[in-house]
Amino acid sequence: MYGQPIRVSELDTNFKHEVMAHEAAHDITACFSCGTCTVGCPIHEAYPEYDPRKLARMVNLGMRERVLSSSYIWYCATCHTCELRCPQNVKFFSVLNVLKNMAAKEGYAPPSWVNQTQQVMKTGIVFATEEAWVERREELSLCPLKGDGEEAAKLMRLTGVGEIQPRAQL
Amino acid sequence: MKRYALFLGCTTPTKVPQYELSTRWISNRLGIDLVDIEDFVCCGSNQINLSIEAGLLLSALNLAYAEAQDLDIVTLCAACTGVLVEAVEELEKQAVRDTINKKLSTIGLQYNGKTKVKHISRVIYEDVGLNRIRKEIKRDLSNLQIAPHYGCHYLRPRCVSEGLDEPDNPKSLHQLISATGAIPVEYETLLDCCGGKTFPNSVDLAHHLIAKKLDNLQDKEVDCMVLHCQTCYLMYATQQEKMSEKFDRQYNVPIILYPQLLGLAMGADPVADLGLNLNVPSVDKLLTKVENEYKVRI
Repeated sequence: MYGQPIRVSELDTNFKHEVMAHEAAHDITACFSCGTCTVGCPIHEAYPEYDPRKLARMVNLGMRERVLSSSYIWYCATCHTCELRCPQNVKFFSVLNVLKNMAAKEGYAPPSWVNQTQQVMKTGIVFATEEAWVERREELSLCPLKGDGEEAAKLMRLTGVGEIQPRAQL
Repeated sequence: MKRYALFLGCTTPTKVPQYELSTRWISNRLGIDLVDIEDFVCCGSNQINLSIEAGLLLSALNLAYAEAQDLDIVTLCAACTGVLVEAVEELEKQAVRDTINKKLSTIGLQYNGKTKVKHISRVIYEDVGLNRIRKEIKRDLSNLQIAPHYGCHYLRPRCVSEGLDEPDNPKSLHQLISATGAIPVEYETLLDCCGGKTFPNSVDLAHHLIAKKLDNLQDKEVDCMVLHCQTCYLMYATQQEKMSEKFDRQYNVPIILYPQLLGLAMGADPVADLGLNLNVPSVDKLLTKVENEYKVRI
C-alpha cells in the first residue's frame, strides 16, 4: 500500500460509490484529508503504513484492489479516536468496517475473525469449552455457562457470514 | 435499586472469573439486583469486522433476550458496552429495526428499543452514587496510588459516554477510585488503548501498545492500575510475563479490576469474595500495604 505510484488506468472510479452505498460509510467523501485521524491513531504510530487519511484518500480515488487486499486494514485497534476527533464527522471506524466487510467477501479476511465467528456459531461465545475454566467456575461457585450457539448460528446463517473463507495468513 | 440482566460476554466468565466474582459481591452489598440470562451469546463486536449486519444481529439477539424479561443490561466488558450501546442507537432507526426484527422473528424474538445498556462502573457511578460508596468504606486505602485505565469503548464512540464523561478528558473512574479512599494518579498515557482487538491479528502490535502504558506506569511507581474491562486486564496483566522475556525490562505492575478495588475498600475477603489471588502479577505486596494500614471504621 505504501510508496507505489498511483496508476490512473488502475483506478476504479466506482469504488467510492460502492463504499458509500453502505449507510455506515455514507460520509466518506466529506473527508478533506486534514489528517487529524492519523495523528491520533495508535496503530499509525506503530505501523506508519496504516494511515486512515491515506485510506480515505485511496477510497475516494478508487484504489479498490490495493485497499481491499491490504493487510493493514485489519490492524485497527477499534479505539474510535479517529471518528471522535474528525472535524468533518466522518465515521472512519464505520468506513473501515465497510471496507473490511467488502474485503472479507473477496477472501481477504484474517483467520482470527473467521475462526471466532465460526466458534460463536458452535458455543455462542468466541471460545470452545475448556475443562480448566469450567472447573474454575465450579470452585468459585459461579453458575455454569450454557455453551450453546444454536440460536446465534441460525441468525448468522441468514447473513452468509458463516460462509466467509479466510486468507491463508495476515 | 434497579434490576439488571448481567451480560458476562465471552472472556470474563472463561478467563477472568475474578471480575465476575467481585462484581457479584459488590452488587449484592450495594443493592444492584443482577439477573442471569443463560441464553446470552457473544455481543457481536468482532463479527462486525466480517459483516456489520451479522454483528448487529448478535447485539440485537442479546437485547431481545433482556427485553423479553423487561430488563436493562449491565455489562462488564468495555467492548460489549460499546457495541451494544451503538446497537441500541442504530436500532432506533425504524427501517433498521424492521430489517433486524424480521430476522429475529425466525427464532421467535424481537427487540422494540426498550432495553438499554450500561457498564457496571456507570451503574455504580449513576445508580449507587459516590456518596453511598463513601459510606460503605471499611478499609483504609488512602496509602494506595492508583492509575486509572478507562478502556476505549467505555468512552468512545461518544454515544457510549454521553451524559457520563468527556472522552478526551475523562474523570468518572478517577472519582470512583477517589470514593474508595485511594488516590488516583495522573499519567501521560491515560487515554492509550490496550491493544486487545489487535492481539488476535498481531501479538507484536499488541505488545507495542501495552508496553507504552506499562513503561509509563512502572516509571511512575504506582501501586497498581485499576481498570474495568477483562480484555484490558488480559492485555496489561497476563502479557507482562511474556513481555518481560521479550523486552529487556522486568514488568511488574499489579492490575486490579474496579469491583475488586471497591470490594477491598468495603471490607470483602480478598480471596473468597474478590478472587484477588487469581490476579497476575501478584497483588500480595499491595494487600500487605493495605493490611498494615488496616483500620476498621466504626
